[in-house]
Amino acid sequence: MKILREALAPLTALAILLVLWETVARVFSVSPIVLPPPSAIGLEASRAADTLLSGALSTGRSALLGFGLSTAVGVLAAIVLSSSRVLERALYPYALFLQMVPIIAIAPVLVVWFGHGARAVAVSSFIVSVFPVIANTHTGMRSVDPALRDMFRLYGARRVATLWKLELPASLPHLFTGLRVASGLSVVGAIVGEWVAGVVEGDAGLGILVLAANRQGNTARVFAAVLAASMLGLMLFGAVSLTGERMLRRWHPSASGS
Amino acid sequence: MRMSGLRRTFPGGVPVLQGMDLDVGAGSFVALVGPSGCGKSTLLRLVAGLDQPNAGTLTFSPPLDHTPGARTPIAYVFQDAHLLPWRSVLDNVALPLELAGVPAAERHASARAMLTQVGLGDATARYPAQLSGGMRMRVSLARALVTRPRLLLLDEPFAALDELTRHRLDDQLLALWKELGMTVLFVTHSLSEAAYLAERVVVLSRRPARVMLDRHLDLPSERLPALRADPGFAREMGLLFHALEQGDAA
Amino acid sequence: MRGRLVGLLGSLVLLVVAGACSRSKEGAQQAGGSDAGGTQAAAQVARVKLALNWVPEPEFGGFYAARDQGAFKRHGLEVEILGGGVGVPVLQMVATGQVEFGIVGGDELLTARARGVDLIPLFAVYQTSPQAIMVHASRGAKGIQDVLSSGTIALEPGLPYAAWLKKKYGFDKVKVVPYDGGVAQFVTNKDFAQQCFITSEPIAARRQGADPVVFLVADEGFNPYSAVVVTRREMWKEQPERVKNFVAAVREGWRAYLDNPAPANAVMGKLNTTLDAETFAAAAQAQKPLIETEETRTQGLGFMSRTRWETLGRQLVELGLLEKAPAPDEFLLPEFTQAAGKGSP
Repeated sequence: MKILREALAPLTALAILLVLWETVARVFSVSPIVLPPPSAIGLEASRAADTLLSGALSTGRSALLGFGLSTAVGVLAAIVLSSSRVLERALYPYALFLQMVPIIAIAPVLVVWFGHGARAVAVSSFIVSVFPVIANTHTGMRSVDPALRDMFRLYGARRVATLWKLELPASLPHLFTGLRVASGLSVVGAIVGEWVAGVVEGDAGLGILVLAANRQGNTARVFAAVLAASMLGLMLFGAVSLTGERMLRRWHPSASGS
Repeated sequence: MRMSGLRRTFPGGVPVLQGMDLDVGAGSFVALVGPSGCGKSTLLRLVAGLDQPNAGTLTFSPPLDHTPGARTPIAYVFQDAHLLPWRSVLDNVALPLELAGVPAAERHASARAMLTQVGLGDATARYPAQLSGGMRMRVSLARALVTRPRLLLLDEPFAALDELTRHRLDDQLLALWKELGMTVLFVTHSLSEAAYLAERVVVLSRRPARVMLDRHLDLPSERLPALRADPGFAREMGLLFHALEQGDAA
Repeated sequence: MRGRLVGLLGSLVLLVVAGACSRSKEGAQQAGGSDAGGTQAAAQVARVKLALNWVPEPEFGGFYAARDQGAFKRHGLEVEILGGGVGVPVLQMVATGQVEFGIVGGDELLTARARGVDLIPLFAVYQTSPQAIMVHASRGAKGIQDVLSSGTIALEPGLPYAAWLKKKYGFDKVKVVPYDGGVAQFVTNKDFAQQCFITSEPIAARRQGADPVVFLVADEGFNPYSAVVVTRREMWKEQPERVKNFVAAVREGWRAYLDNPAPANAVMGKLNTTLDAETFAAAAQAQKPLIETEETRTQGLGFMSRTRWETLGRQLVELGLLEKAPAPDEFLLPEFTQAAGKGSP
């Protein structure tokens, strides 16, 4: 299958990297609390599999919620921004602001508004991942072929029809670019959100697991948790990419694989 | 359609049209030729209502019906086919009817009929990315004609295609015109194409455009490919060319 | 493409090799230095670094006093004190030789040793752990058990004594949230409890008008040595005199600080502007009974007993943080479990 063939190259690189890492760690006696060898990480991962899995589920749930919010709000915001130059000039700086303010600084405010728990973590995930969706979709809507706009105008299309039948489909490739970026960011936002606004017992996410493992000097578990978080991000990225492929397959060069 | 004293100056003070007068009879085929940038496209856009003149009048008799949802009386074909890449050929052609609120079954039937007329009856399920340039232009034509417009405006539609395809589409357009009887305003920079297609050719000068020549061609009404080799054809082209040169020399 | 991959892996290897080489080079330097040091002990001043695991606060007062009041100098040392903060990896810094000495918690030392990191403890500032739980007086709690029966409590994830409390009382009736290092949430919410350092957060909370009650975790039976000075085994093997001198100087510094904390407080106050002079003084006062006990009066400040380390090891095994409790003989040096000289307090 095409997927297996494509995966062969990066998988081989990974295997080589792991072997090298293990060898170097053993030969040069690298301190296990600085850089544990892959074998130690694998061992710890299997030992703590239950905890890692429930942590991944918790973080995954919040990240998914945050990502969903980013998609919905992002597209809506892009529509609003594209509808009028005045609105664009007035509101775009605030969208930019959301991107620039470090989430660590906003997180305590989220606790005040939403309390500790999954809701605040999802909001954190949303704040970190929404801007790429807005920016890319907005660009996509602004880049619609003016001749097509003329044609819609000529045929007396109302504003909603132009939005729904022209602007949104035309900006789909841009939207998916934004969603791909947002997918990884949503996991990052969830983890950082957990550090401040999560719960430590009951529904502890991967972010909390990382902190706990670090506090207990279990560097191998830190790496294992970080790896689990990366996999979460990868899965979401993969899902978004695949959806994009299917939707754009028939008409956009970016999906045709040519 | 009658235009009188039509003026259009672009923002920044560039005068494109300074008082253009033109009368076009219903059902006639008129070609507009002129040097690049003389304002032919601008003129066409003004007629289509995509642009507003700074002065002058544009009247249609009978008057146009601009109620939203009605079948638009004016159709426009661009140089690029400008199809929606995410829609099938059928849905592209059906678009004008869809925007006018025509239900799916009816508009799909009209679209299919139109596609058959331009020879693409079996390509309805394909996507624009899978079509050649010539086929895409035919889809664009079908889309323009699916609403049975009273007035068909074409802005150098076949300029980007190869010679052979262009000739085929010229004949296709003529056939459609003969069958549907709409008024056609055809902008081109190709004198031979203008002479081959139109009953009447208007030659425009450089910007700001003035009418250099407005001539009913002395050619048989049935246009066959062999006409291009006819000495009468060459004579008409010569007249057109002379007017073009004069208009460009100003 | 293949070339780039090889290049990337190659640089990765170079990086780790460089890191390892620099360590072994340092070891050679230290070995060379000790030969010369023996004959010119008085004339040569050794430069060492001490990494703290939090910002400069009264819990480190003795170290600053040792530096500024000449104790280190008298013992032939020039010490650079690196203030810490959130997430500073002191264990890693000492383990890789980036710094010669570091301050860590007793439990951290044992878990690091379990992973093969050969660090040894030299001096324990706190005989009684200053870790505590603080709660609003209005809740009428008589002990930590009451605190854990309702409301919210902020605890650092992975804290060993949190695991201890969970084992003892359970967390099913209380909502556990991350500790943010401050008192803002505590001050605004009466149902909010949090972990604290007895010398720190309660004082800050009182200044903001709150009325906290503080319960020491040590009273619940979990009492690891706290603010422990550690170094690498190699350091002890190659420079035993330097290590002994360091500890002796630290002991003098703490004596000086306990007798008069004001000068060191002033120095630390400039480095840590989040606390004012009054708070520094109050904290220095509050921590005295945790540092100077019956035992230290006979055995010397910073004293560490085998029993305490054995107990800690056992408890960490019970909590599942260690597989096996290490025998204190493996890491507790006799030089540091006895009084340093006769008659010295």
